Amino acid sequence: MSKVGIPRALLYYQYYPVWRSFFEHLGAEVVTSPPTNRTILTAGISRAVADTCLPVKVFLGHTMSLIGKCDYIFIPSMTSFGKKTYNCSKIIGLPNITRAVLPECPIILDPNIDLEKGRWYFYHQIYKLASRFTSNSVKMKKAIDVAWQKQLAYRKKMSDEKITSNQALFDLYGSSHSASSQKNPQGNLTIALLGHPYITNDEYLNHRIIYHLQNMGANVLTSEMAPQTAIDAAATRAVGETHWAFEPDIIGAGQYYTEMKVDGIITLSAFGCGPDSMMIVWVEHRAKETKTPFLPLSLDEHSSGGAMLTRLEAFLDMIKRKGTKLPTPTPAYC
Amino acid sequence: MKLGIPHFGNVSVSIKAIAQQLGATDSLIIPPPMTQKTLNLGVKYSPYEACLPYKLTLGSLIETCELGANTLAQARGSGICRLGYYAKNQEQILRDLGYSAKFLTIDISHNKLISVLRLIKNLANDASWYEISSAFFFGISKLFALDKIEKVVQEIRAVELEKGTANKIYHEAIRNIDEATKRKEVKDITKEYIERLNHVEKNNKAHPLKVGIVGEIYVVIEPFANMDIEEELGKLGVEVERTMTLSRWVKYSLFLNYLGADEWRKVHHLAKPYIDHDVGGDGWESVGEKILFAHKGFDGIVHLAPFTCMPEIVAQNVMPSTREDIPVLAVICDEQQGKQGLLTRLEAFVDLLEFRRRKNGRRIYNTR
Ligand code: SF4
Ligand code: SF4
Repeated sequence: MSKVGIPRALLYYQYYPVWRSFFEHLGAEVVTSPPTNRTILTAGISRAVADTCLPVKVFLGHTMSLIGKCDYIFIPSMTSFGKKTYNCSKIIGLPNITRAVLPECPIILDPNIDLEKGRWYFYHQIYKLASRFTSNSVKMKKAIDVAWQKQLAYRKKMSDEKITSNQALFDLYGSSHSASSQKNPQGNLTIALLGHPYITNDEYLNHRIIYHLQNMGANVLTSEMAPQTAIDAAATRAVGETHWAFEPDIIGAGQYYTEMKVDGIITLSAFGCGPDSMMIVWVEHRAKETKTPFLPLSLDEHSSGGAMLTRLEAFLDMIKRKGTKLPTPTPAYC
Repeated sequence: MKLGIPHFGNVSVSIKAIAQQLGATDSLIIPPPMTQKTLNLGVKYSPYEACLPYKLTLGSLIETCELGANTLAQARGSGICRLGYYAKNQEQILRDLGYSAKFLTIDISHNKLISVLRLIKNLANDASWYEISSAFFFGISKLFALDKIEKVVQEIRAVELEKGTANKIYHEAIRNIDEATKRKEVKDITKEYIERLNHVEKNNKAHPLKVGIVGEIYVVIEPFANMDIEEELGKLGVEVERTMTLSRWVKYSLFLNYLGADEWRKVHHLAKPYIDHDVGGDGWESVGEKILFAHKGFDGIVHLAPFTCMPEIVAQNVMPSTREDIPVLAVICDEQQGKQGLLTRLEAFVDLLEFRRRKNGRRIYNTR
């Protein structure tokens, strides 16, 4: 049985169930890299060009940890998921970056998922991918259908139960996906934590921010916990026509949760992330208009958990004191 | 209406010509040339990690607002990176600063020609489509003329005996073309200046080093954004070539693309083994152009990328893996990059290229 490796980074957190189920139905075995750790991070950093953003470096580290453990590595080029909305260039070019900087990598499976190019292009890409594993088209069709149902169920599970990707993946696939945060804690403050799911769910990168916020007595809401249709609509309400595949996760969720009158908003972005720099301005603006306390945090390779904790504590204290003075708008590096 | 546009290469020369032809000079605010002040303004009001073109165009728009612009033109488009966000974000920033300018966006991913013509129509509402299109052609004829002259300048700079002569002539040409009011005049001026450039005293024995300039379109075309890198390379005796020019963009994006021509076909084809589809911005093209310049026998490549520019980071990661062996100097353009640092890096790069040439037994006869 051939083994397909899936790096536990970037779009993994949003699409793991559909990918895994698809390959398993085609008769392949799926191997996943372990949660991010120091070795993975350093390995990734050592190979990419310095200005590359942290999440992509982490991704490369995960891919490296899969070398020798599988026959293929699955790195789709997730270009566009809908009309005129595109992903970040680095996610579109991910298989190309990986192939270039990790020449020792096993065969990379890189379908180009570009819904802007229409349905037939999509089917063609999937067909090309699946035909490596089976020539039985009925089996392929079934794999697609089952996988897609899995994906919808996964998304719905997160919004219904108000849990993070990590927690949902733990429920579905068990121990290798444990999360340090609790489900539905009963804190006395509600904080929206906005960021790419691959940042808010990577506990090594984000220094277990959710866990710490919960310990400080806050309920944390992330974009996964809102229904997809709700954050899509909220993004359109906020900026009109959307351009980016992840606008709903940041601007959309930001709009949605400010309308819900959360007690505070924290944005968590990675240093060197192009799109975030544009989107966070919107969220900040919204926060200012609605007088919602706002804290922008940015992570980089050298960030330490200690500095972040101090900032979080100060932020929550400020909210508890019902201070209306807003913190400085420049991102704090922690 | 007072229309303001952000400064970008020689765009304002052409827009000004169009406005003049339509008798609408009063409704146009010409952006002042970019200076440190423009950059400072842009940096001050932009998000810290925004890319340099964003900051510079914002700075430039603020300056046009100060001169009284109440309607601003900015590019927009989907699938092409952060550009889709420029107008939306900048409008909000300007509003916060107290300028209530309206934004006219030019869609440069779909329906480009219509968008551009509509912008011109806004300048002179009662002009007929015939007048508009003839003014438009006159405007772009200036762009073509300037790019033609610049191409000669790029060659002469490398071999002129007195450094700076070609540049002086070029700037004079820009001024004269800017003032021309008829197509015939533009043609004559172009001819005259090319002639003058060809007569500049030069080292006839020189075989200058040749360097290709690739990268993100704004920083490649706007000299202020790349700290006059072409001129500096010229001073070091290097001839530069770049494929990306405004006239080429106009020629293909506004016309020939509609007829099915694809100016990048060859470049994309060469890049295929490494990148086989668009990654937004100009990342795909940068990789393909590196290969193209290598095939053409160039000595080196300068890769210009704004700090945090996503498509160019993809290109930067991919470039070293191409089979073609040609030195690439990656220059990150942002407000922190000092000119002195750049010059030192350029000198070291040119030394490397000279060394490689000598190793291959070819001579240079540099004018340095
Ligand atoms: S969206 Fe930001 S963090 Fe994600 S890959 Fe792009 S630049 Fe990196
Ligand atoms: S291509 Fe680069 S410079 Fe241009 S908008 Fe995108 S990120 Fe900014």
